Amino acid sequence: MSSTTAGTQKSFWEKMTSREGQRKLIIVTFMFVPLLLLLVFTYIPFLEMVKFSFQNVKYGQPGTWVGLKNYIDVFQRGECFKSLFVSVYYMGGVMVQLALALFFATMFVFKIKGAGFFKGAMFFPYLICGIAVGFIFKFFYARGYVLDSLLQMLGMDIENIPMWLQDQSINNISLAATSVWRYMGQNMILFLGAMMSVDTDLYEAASLDGANKWHQFKYIILPSIKSIVVLNLILSISGSLSAFEPPYVITNGTMGTGTYFVIMNRLAHENQKVGLACAMAIVLLGIIILCTVAQNLFFKYVFDDGS
Amino acid sequence: MKLNKKIMSLGLAAAMTVPMAGCGGGSKQEAAAPVDLPTIDSITLSTADTPGDYTDLTASIKVLTNRTDIVDTVYKGYAEQFMELYPNITVEYEGITDYEESLKLRLTTGDWGDLCFIPTSVNKSELSQYFAPLGAFDTLDGIYNFCVEKSFDGTVYGIANGGTAGGVVYNKKIWDQAGITELPSTPDEFLDALQTIKDNTDAVPLYTNFSAGWPMGAWDAYTDIVCTGDPDFKNKMPHMKDPFAKRDDMTGPYAVYYTMYEAVARGLIEEDPASTDWESSKGAVNKGEIASMVLGSWAVQQCRDQGETPEDVKYMPFPITVDGKRYASAGGNYGFGINNKATEENQIAAMLYLKWVLEASPMYTDEGSIPALKSAPLPDVLADFEGVELLSNIPAPEGEEDLFDQVNLESEVGINNDDYPDCEIL
Repeated sequence: MSSTTAGTQKSFWEKMTSREGQRKLIIVTFMFVPLLLLLVFTYIPFLEMVKFSFQNVKYGQPGTWVGLKNYIDVFQRGECFKSLFVSVYYMGGVMVQLALALFFATMFVFKIKGAGFFKGAMFFPYLICGIAVGFIFKFFYARGYVLDSLLQMLGMDIENIPMWLQDQSINNISLAATSVWRYMGQNMILFLGAMMSVDTDLYEAASLDGANKWHQFKYIILPSIKSIVVLNLILSISGSLSAFEPPYVITNGTMGTGTYFVIMNRLAHENQKVGLACAMAIVLLGIIILCTVAQNLFFKYVFDDGS
Repeated sequence: MKLNKKIMSLGLAAAMTVPMAGCGGGSKQEAAAPVDLPTIDSITLSTADTPGDYTDLTASIKVLTNRTDIVDTVYKGYAEQFMELYPNITVEYEGITDYEESLKLRLTTGDWGDLCFIPTSVNKSELSQYFAPLGAFDTLDGIYNFCVEKSFDGTVYGIANGGTAGGVVYNKKIWDQAGITELPSTPDEFLDALQTIKDNTDAVPLYTNFSAGWPMGAWDAYTDIVCTGDPDFKNKMPHMKDPFAKRDDMTGPYAVYYTMYEAVARGLIEEDPASTDWESSKGAVNKGEIASMVLGSWAVQQCRDQGETPEDVKYMPFPITVDGKRYASAGGNYGFGINNKATEENQIAAMLYLKWVLEASPMYTDEGSIPALKSAPLPDVLADFEGVELLSNIPAPEGEEDLFDQVNLESEVGINNDDYPDCEIL
């Protein structure tokens, strides 16, 4: 009996001391910490959230099992999906944002005066925290404050200037504009980084062949940075589905500016319907996955070189 | 959220007093035999001209307070005034910074002083353990405000140190300028008055503070007593089928929200509610740029402090009349309680001082709060509350303590909650 135990021990020891065993041991040891962190702070809370989504839970109280009721509620309550419509404004903002970022990045690729300053100035908003950006724009859009004064200086009558935050035909555009302001610089820097890797000889060769700047952009720059454009687009679209800070800080989701996250936050924290909010989060996760897959397929077919 | 925190801390406090109640019970047995105290309504106070009861009583009492900011100035002044009337009694104040927490512990020892503000953590059923009875509820309720808050089983153990009321802060100069001579008493009169202000002055008739969120909670606070005259309404509300339905006599919660809705719909509020600023609004009321704001009476002093013309800032009851009567919700401040473990002389001396503070001291004028005595004139702040009955909510019956909050959360109505997601500016 004892001899067999000793035998297995020995063989285990042998395994561990062999080169193959050492390699595995080191991999496992190195992986252990990040995996543990991932498990404890990402996957276990996520599974817990999935569990909550099937329960009726309040803070500090054990939940009761309610099956699919929360999911049915998400689809039956008009506000949940109506709030996704608000995200369309932010998606529109994303398009403007990416176009502007591409435009400025392309300008910076060619030699211009004061490039360093302008790059810094445009990237700067990204460094301000979202809550502060909210407060800045709350006053920027307030009646008679910055924006109104500027427009009045340009000769506009105050009567003709809309209420930027309460006119429902325009307030979502006002809010989306704040996120364009904030993220445009970051997109620009990413694009610029990709553009830097393009061989400058190509521009020279192209201009010798008679290509103007637009041709250079279209035939040299854009194809070289295609993948980073697609990546930025995907990130920005899922970001606009989960827009939260501008509507939360500036309008608190009132007057038709409540995005999906704002509604979710209200249900979870103000009304303590944690289960329902968790179900909303999971539904949104599904939507984001669907969007990403759809975009991937779209770009695969559209930008397919035929290979 | 604020409310939840309060409830949680109350719950915690309650949970923590349970083991202490045990200690209190132990020391209770050592306490002196129950002293034969007079009731607070039966004693006569000395005045400058005529001596009252117990003028020959010699005692030295200690009063505990949380107001460390004024304990050595204002409160000391009260004690000196009292000691002139009763030269044999010495009154000494002790200010405590961490009042609730330290008092919870000190109460159980029985040796904390003679008169204190009853901590909110003491349950009603525990009142008799620590505090001397002041009289029968039925008698005292006719004399003092907010007796119900610190009484148990028909006996009063504490009397509130005044209270605050709910109504509307307004700038009298602007209302006069607009030509309004009589304060409105119904929602429609109020709206007409706002319209008159809009037509005749440059002031914002009603400032909502919409963007700050929490000041809008004042409207919620007026959905119980103010609009029904029923101190039990808040407890009935979760049982009612449709508490927000319109009533023909324009009372009930509907009337409160009707006032707000119509004021917004008729353009009687600030131009851009999405960007209001609470701090500057106080000064604007003082200056007369804002004609009125719906807020509790605590806001009056703050508005007065923020400008050159404090005398223009006044307070009126919320414009709803129920069956010809006006009501205002009022909540008591801390209640005074007398240590039942102190000697008989000290207990009587404490009662004398308590009665003097409640009835003869200038405290309520100084603080601008509702006096404890029902017959006393209301403070200058509440001058417009003449004939308005002040009521406070009856506590929920046993087993239903959190029913209102539960229904409020489950229904997502959001009363007394900062949350107002579906609102729109018309």
